[in-house]
Amino acid sequence: MFLLAASYYFYINIKPVYALLLAGVTLTTYLFTNLIAKARSDRSKSLLLTGAVVLTLLPLFFFKYFNFVNEGIFTLLNYTGLHLSLPHLSLLLPVGVSFYTFMALGYTIDVYNEEIEAEKNFGIVALFLSFFPVVMSGPIERAPNMFQQFKGKLQFNYEMVVGGLKLMLWGYFMKLALADRLSIYIDAVFKNADQHVGSSLLLATLMQPIRVYGDLGGYSLIAIGCAKVMGINVIPNFNRPFFATTMSEFWRRWHISLIKWLTDYVYTPLSFAFRRYGVWGIVIALNLTFIISGAWHGAAFNFLVWGFIQGLALSVEMLTRKNKDAFEDRFNLRKRWWYILFGCVFTYLLFAFSLSFGGDAATVPEVLHIFKRIFTDSVHMPYKDGDTMLYGFLAFSIVFLKDFMEEYYPGRVLLFNNKNNTVRWLSYYCVIFLIFYLGIFSGEQFVYFQF
Amino acid sequence: MEKEEIVNKLTPVFRKVFADNSLVITEELSALDVENWDSLSHMLLIAEVENEFAIKFKLKDLNKMANVGDMIAIISSKL
Repeated sequence: MFLLAASYYFYINIKPVYALLLAGVTLTTYLFTNLIAKARSDRSKSLLLTGAVVLTLLPLFFFKYFNFVNEGIFTLLNYTGLHLSLPHLSLLLPVGVSFYTFMALGYTIDVYNEEIEAEKNFGIVALFLSFFPVVMSGPIERAPNMFQQFKGKLQFNYEMVVGGLKLMLWGYFMKLALADRLSIYIDAVFKNADQHVGSSLLLATLMQPIRVYGDLGGYSLIAIGCAKVMGINVIPNFNRPFFATTMSEFWRRWHISLIKWLTDYVYTPLSFAFRRYGVWGIVIALNLTFIISGAWHGAAFNFLVWGFIQGLALSVEMLTRKNKDAFEDRFNLRKRWWYILFGCVFTYLLFAFSLSFGGDAATVPEVLHIFKRIFTDSVHMPYKDGDTMLYGFLAFSIVFLKDFMEEYYPGRVLLFNNKNNTVRWLSYYCVIFLIFYLGIFSGEQFVYFQF
Repeated sequence: MEKEEIVNKLTPVFRKVFADNSLVITEELSALDVENWDSLSHMLLIAEVENEFAIKFKLKDLNKMANVGDMIAIISSKL
């Protein structure tokens, strides 16, 4: 009860009106899940599910896609000679709507699939959808995991409080010292792309994934850590993504909660529906899933291109997997360090370039123009911003080193979890000092708050 | 249809989908035990099994299949 009050207090503080929207989605979810559970026939169950899905998606569609669809349709009509238009609405996207909508949908579908019973306690459902550490930007939680914990008695647990604070500390480092630092360079270049040489554009393009990792990855750790302090375990969102050697592995390590959600509620039903078409059915399902993921990130054509590139890359990997496995076995490549490095670099480059389409800043022709410049105009030295580059590089090296050790030598070097008190406290202070020394404190926003 | 009969009909389907002519079907067999059993081949398997028995699964059934035993139970409930 206290957590629910705190969560709504937190949300109302951001924008009171939008709390009504959250409450509306909660009420819809509560009512429909209980109706689905009570319905006798399969037909009424699926009718109720359809109703719930449409109603839950309504706010998201209205706030996020109204202008996109509106302008898209009327531009098309213009070509046919009809000059009509509805007004362009300048609405601010309600914070977290993309996230709690998905959580609500997931829960409703779980009830329909009889994976979980419909919750009778309205407070639990309300807390699930408004839980303040995750309501703004995820991780996109699941009802079975959260309900169970909310129903248990929350007790002060020293281990969890300390563990949570450690995660938060590291999250702040990733956000303030890494993401916000790199943002200075990236924004400086991309906001005036025309005035920068190709090599600057290339450098900024290559920095993008690290910035998003610092931003969303750091945010996720803060959210997960904050929940942990209160005794609630939230699912992880990132798992050292830059050590993935293929795109399919990358997507098991990057924004995990979103991808798992999409796999369960979009990809699986789609591939099931298309199963008669064999391998091509799966390819279509994969591409549609990532195009939907692109649309979820933003209502613009460039996000669809971003999604399509991911779908395409994953389809190619899937179709060539058997041959690739045989090739790797034949030459015994899987344990070779240079082969692993090649896989990591190739995956990183593919993701970095595709990410150019995954932002609000540039339209598709602009991105293609940037690519052209990168490949034709990279002979000059890139734009230098000494402090930003030095501090950014330092912060990146620290994050990279930590991830590298955890990936290849787990448990070998312990700092935050060292048995020795002195080492442990020294490392806390070190990171706190580094946050103040390398961090940016001008109130930068989190990138994913806009989604 | 008896369990044994279902297993007999399933065996060639599994062998074809996973390209393994020595695959032996047991009730405990699951995706963890078969090398090529991933999300792609799983959907192909589902479609082939449906053809073989002339039945249709629901998405709900899919979530309940943790191993071959579950699959056999669901098949026999549809025959």
